[in-house]
Amino acid sequence: MKDITEKEVSEVIYADNIAHIEELEKMKKATPARIGIGHTGARYKTEPMLRFLAAQAAAADAVFSEVKEDVVKDLGVFEVRTKCASKYEMLTRPDWGRIFEEDTQEYIKNHCIQNPDVQIYFGDGLCSPSIQANIPDLFPTIKLGLEDKGITVGTPFFVRYCRVNTARTIGPLLNAKVVCVLIGERPGLLTSESMSAYIAYHARPEMSESDYTVVSNISKHGIPPVEAAAHIVDLLDEILKKKKSGVALKTD
Amino acid sequence: MSEEVILSAGIDVGTSTTQLIFSRMTIKNTAGFGKVPKTEIVSKDIFYRSKIYFTPFLSSEIIDGAKVHEIIKKEYETAGISPKDLSTGAVIITGETSRKKNAKQVLESLSDIAGDFVVATAGPDLESILAGKGAGAGEISKKSGKVVANLDIGGGTTNICYFKDGEVYDTACLDIGGRLVKIEDGRITYIADKVQDFINKYQIPVKIHERADVQHLELLTDKMAEILAQSVNLCKPTEDLVNFRTNRLITVNDPVEILTFSGGVASCMDQEYDVLQFGDIGVLLAKSIMKNRYFMEIKTAHAMETMRATVIGAGNYSMNISGSTIEYTQKDFPIKNLPIGKIRLENEADIEKIGTEMQKAIDYFRDDGEEVQIALAMKGLACPGFLQIQEIAANIMETYDTLFDKNIKLILILEADIGKALGQALKRINSKGRDIVCIDNISCNSGDYIDLGQPIANGSVIPVVVKTLVFQG
Repeated sequence: MKDITEKEVSEVIYADNIAHIEELEKMKKATPARIGIGHTGARYKTEPMLRFLAAQAAAADAVFSEVKEDVVKDLGVFEVRTKCASKYEMLTRPDWGRIFEEDTQEYIKNHCIQNPDVQIYFGDGLCSPSIQANIPDLFPTIKLGLEDKGITVGTPFFVRYCRVNTARTIGPLLNAKVVCVLIGERPGLLTSESMSAYIAYHARPEMSESDYTVVSNISKHGIPPVEAAAHIVDLLDEILKKKKSGVALKTD
Repeated sequence: MSEEVILSAGIDVGTSTTQLIFSRMTIKNTAGFGKVPKTEIVSKDIFYRSKIYFTPFLSSEIIDGAKVHEIIKKEYETAGISPKDLSTGAVIITGETSRKKNAKQVLESLSDIAGDFVVATAGPDLESILAGKGAGAGEISKKSGKVVANLDIGGGTTNICYFKDGEVYDTACLDIGGRLVKIEDGRITYIADKVQDFINKYQIPVKIHERADVQHLELLTDKMAEILAQSVNLCKPTEDLVNFRTNRLITVNDPVEILTFSGGVASCMDQEYDVLQFGDIGVLLAKSIMKNRYFMEIKTAHAMETMRATVIGAGNYSMNISGSTIEYTQKDFPIKNLPIGKIRLENEADIEKIGTEMQKAIDYFRDDGEEVQIALAMKGLACPGFLQIQEIAANIMETYDTLFDKNIKLILILEADIGKALGQALKRINSKGRDIVCIDNISCNSGDYIDLGQPIANGSVIPVVVKTLVFQG
């Protein structure tokens, strides 16, 4: 059977009888949107329709699937999970997705170095495939870049059923100057492996959402992980020097 | 990030006229919240246009350098601009003037007063490109999706530039212009050599020192218009086209869909002048083109600028800015006139061959193993992995260290958006402490030369001028 997703939608023209095919090709190059997919009567053609469903399924899978244990093992980090016991709970209880049980907190504390300049950890968030797709290139590049600048990097780990606001707990727990969560972002129909970096100076329970500096759209379809990492290194350096993050950093 | 405004100058010393413009370029980070910065030029605003001067000559072979210098200096004063205000721009000597004996010295004396990062450059290809962009042909092609050709018909040469999808597609240059025959007090006082050969060949009754007969001159300009039509493939090319070629002719086969005209002769198309008002054949040539049957058949569009297309091209279109995620340890900018050595690095398989590729590129520029400062250009992988970046960096640094002493800078020009990642990796293994510049989003080729300006926008981007050709002495 033919794999209809073998080629990107942006590379295929499904429409028939196109007067100026080069013009359509140019337009398709300029946007990842599904243009030039044709129609049959008032409806989609079969293949574009199936591709819609396939992309939607991939997006849903990205949200609902689990990061495999092997993936975490290959990254060479330990794993903890938030108060949520399942993916379902993570999606329905955002408040639990940001906190940890007492013993988990103890575990993290015992397995990590204390007082790092920057504490980096990985979370599945709303997109499990993003971990495997990006971390192997993203994290080592950030780590080396920071070490070159003489910035200490804490022990990395993986958080299952993770939300961004775990940073509010992790910051004080490890007494990190800056917390950087690398977390899967909500997938769309174009990519289901994008990741964001949420960075907060002096992360703490009472901090505000606007204290986060964000770098989003990290994936091979967006900002290449290594280049995003290089940018994040400079951003972390700036945040440490200016002792602030988020909107305060922007308006500086 | 807030906006930053930089000033740019364009100076054109042409066969018939000398002009200058100053423009303001606004540079801004256009990336949205949560995005990696993307610094771009968001607007270009010409705020000063000089008077149009006749280019001063001491004799038919020597430009009056001192006078040119004086003109430019006076215009700076009138505009209230001092050289240190300028971040970028270009001084160019164009057309027939660039072949005068002291052209190079004049250019050098000008770049001295024109500002630290105003590049001195010339060459028919670059002139064609700048004129085409200044005339707006590039824009028209981008908007219409059509192949657009601009003919910049000046005093001594016609510079042709093809654009496709807004990009330069091909260039050509011919020795056809409005001032190749000069008339004073009703007598012909000058005929350029190539035109004289042409007159002899067709036995056109136009003779030096004799009375100028408009009808006879028209015979000449009609034939010149015909050659221009051939040059953009509106009709079959003849031997005459080859004879009038300055350096190269159009080689692409795509037919032109829209034509634009710029240059002094084009400005005679819009306005009524007495045929010999300027003491040359410019007005007649304009008329001949307008009534030429091939030119009448093809769609033409109005150029945004006619007379000033080249100078605006020089001021507004010679500079680009690098990508916004770049890395450099070098403090001392500008770096001017770096020759480009292009090496192949497009996919994973190329990584292990970087060493030999670099060796080849560098050997091309140095005789007897002497030290030479070049910039290495490469496409770069679109989305390399962590290990690939380390490997690329290691291969580059190793080769460079075996070939060059530590005082030779490592300057890399990439197309793919990986400048910062690669730059950081290079810095890490830079055991000799050499200066490194690693910028991206710039495309250039072997044979090009490049100028790197003082970093702008809080040091996040570097202004770059890629010169398709430098002065050919």
